[in-house]
Amino acid sequence: MSRLQTMRVIVILLTFVLLFSSMQALVVAQDMCTGPFTIGVSNSFVGSEWRTQMVQNIEDVVAEFNAAGIQVELVVESADTDVAGQQQQIQNLLNRGVNAIIINPGDQNALNLDLEDAVAQGVAVIAVDQEIGAQGVYNVVIDQTEWARISARWLAENLGGAGDIVLIEGFVGHPANEARMSGALEVFGEYPGINIVGRESGGWDQATGQQVMSDFLASLPNIDGVWTQDGMAFGVLAALNTANPEKWPLNTGEARAGYLQLWDEVLMAHPDYKSIGVVNPPGVGADGVRVAMEMLCGGTVDAGQLAGPFGNTLYVPIPYAVTAEDFASYYATVANLPASYTMDGFITQTQAAAFMGQ
Amino acid sequence: MKSLNLQRVFARNTYLISFILLVIVLGINYIVQNNVFELRVLNNNLRTLLPLILLAVGQSIVVIGGGLDLSVGTLVSMLSALLVTWVTPDSTPDQILLAVVLVCAAGMLAGLVNGLVVAYLRLQPMITTYATSFIFSGIALLLLPRPGGSIPRDLSTFYRSPLLDIPLAFYAIALLLLFWSVLRTTRYAQYLYATGSSGAAAYATGVPVRVVRVTTYVWSGLFAALASLTLMLSTGGASQANIGDDMTLDSIVAVVLGGTRLSGGQGGIAGAIIGVMILRVIRNVIFFAAVPTWSQTLVNALIIIAALAGPGLIRLIRRSIGR
Repeated sequence: MSRLQTMRVIVILLTFVLLFSSMQALVVAQDMCTGPFTIGVSNSFVGSEWRTQMVQNIEDVVAEFNAAGIQVELVVESADTDVAGQQQQIQNLLNRGVNAIIINPGDQNALNLDLEDAVAQGVAVIAVDQEIGAQGVYNVVIDQTEWARISARWLAENLGGAGDIVLIEGFVGHPANEARMSGALEVFGEYPGINIVGRESGGWDQATGQQVMSDFLASLPNIDGVWTQDGMAFGVLAALNTANPEKWPLNTGEARAGYLQLWDEVLMAHPDYKSIGVVNPPGVGADGVRVAMEMLCGGTVDAGQLAGPFGNTLYVPIPYAVTAEDFASYYATVANLPASYTMDGFITQTQAAAFMGQ
Repeated sequence: MKSLNLQRVFARNTYLISFILLVIVLGINYIVQNNVFELRVLNNNLRTLLPLILLAVGQSIVVIGGGLDLSVGTLVSMLSALLVTWVTPDSTPDQILLAVVLVCAAGMLAGLVNGLVVAYLRLQPMITTYATSFIFSGIALLLLPRPGGSIPRDLSTFYRSPLLDIPLAFYAIALLLLFWSVLRTTRYAQYLYATGSSGAAAYATGVPVRVVRVTTYVWSGLFAALASLTLMLSTGGASQANIGDDMTLDSIVAVVLGGTRLSGGQGGIAGAIIGVMILRVIRNVIFFAAVPTWSQTLVNALIIIAALAGPGLIRLIRRSIGR
């Protein structure tokens, strides 16, 4: 083979590689995947912006597939409902002949039998936001334990590894709260100088969080830090802002527009104020669609990447955390958004494809 | 003469208008969902409905007797928690049977408490049962602080499969109707309707009004127990402390949709069963007619309001034509 020929082969090979990788980035193995597919969504709670964003993200990613020439029809069952109601949602989706179901389960166990029926009928089932143990179902979620570790580590480090702190947790007994608390407690356990002097539930509610923080400020005026999560963080900061105590404890925050807006307000009177907001992305719904599409296009989930309490979870990366260093740039993106808007993040189709094995 | 007879038929069988309504919505459902009458679809739909059907049957007995039970939903939560703390996948048939009997007894006891307070302390049924609903909810949380529970898998597989090519729920509904038709022939039923239509008049004619009132709540407690048993069969024994809470309002709406007036003394359980089915079929129609996601809840509510107002509207039109 002459040098020219060799060059030619290399160029052709490179072109193929480039072509393939660019196609991969856009959509899954295109020849197998023209559809038509029907994807069903089951959502049992409509009272929160987080869920609204989740459904909208799903609609967006489906529109993207359709624009790329893959026929995907989306059918959505979204209503406030109880366990029996969500069982009916699943039945309706099956009766509608869906190829895949993306479900945000309202119960950790009670829907398993129905979802296992769906899997037995050849439907790809992805649970998002809440991990469940149903056979043949895959969970696509962020690691709530790691999510909590990030803010706990930030708090411990910014306190110099020593100080008295209080914890304000969500619903005691709720799987997400338990996972988060175990992560946070694990981190604080690594710092012998950190003393947990109080622990209360704020019920994942802004007003309750504010009340609990006010009580703590009254009873323990010398605390150095507060570790909390989600909407309660807004309540904590609002309580601090209202009480304006002599000594401001350091508090963990949340990655929602409302919190960043309040943070900005607090900065005017307290230019040294700092906090952290770790993103808990509603985008997991869209991530679930991407993984489901890989499965519908012939992919098999790589067993080696499965983890979690039931061994059937694909953890998607936690997108990012807002801290004092990059506060200004993140604040600019959400300054004019509704307070309940949650900062978001998504995996790409290539990342979804990487979850598949051979 | 003929129209008069028809009117009498409607008056005697209050559920007839609801039945016609059910046929209409089922027809619409069939148009948008062709497989609705297939065995598998029918079986799965009715299976998820049976707990609410049972609850609505209990509710309708209370309503016929002139009361109202706002505690049935949380009672289901409490009894489900009770059941799954006793029954595990390794339980023997004897242990399961004992647990079932105890759950039914607990349901009747809870109903007895409601009934005694309403009948003897003369507290308003709505206030009483609203208050006790928190007691049941509190006990449920105490028994089952975090979601869990599991029953032998064979049991749920049996419950979830058709029997002799007929959905299991059909047998249950047939049994309910049989139970009711037998009950209707008894003196107790006469007392029940008399108590509901006018307690004072019934008392004057020697009806043991208080005792009858108490029994209606005991019935309701028993049917709440049956509802929680079927719900646990349907979920494989997985429960949480608030699993039944949302069912209370649906049970009342179903009773009213079935042509039973909340004023009491009239109606029957057939109406309640039909009412539950109407509620379910409406949701089906909304989904299969591809109503946009964000409008589903509103459209659902509007159709239910229309269905609730339907019988009243028909009466109004008939009266104005008559004049």
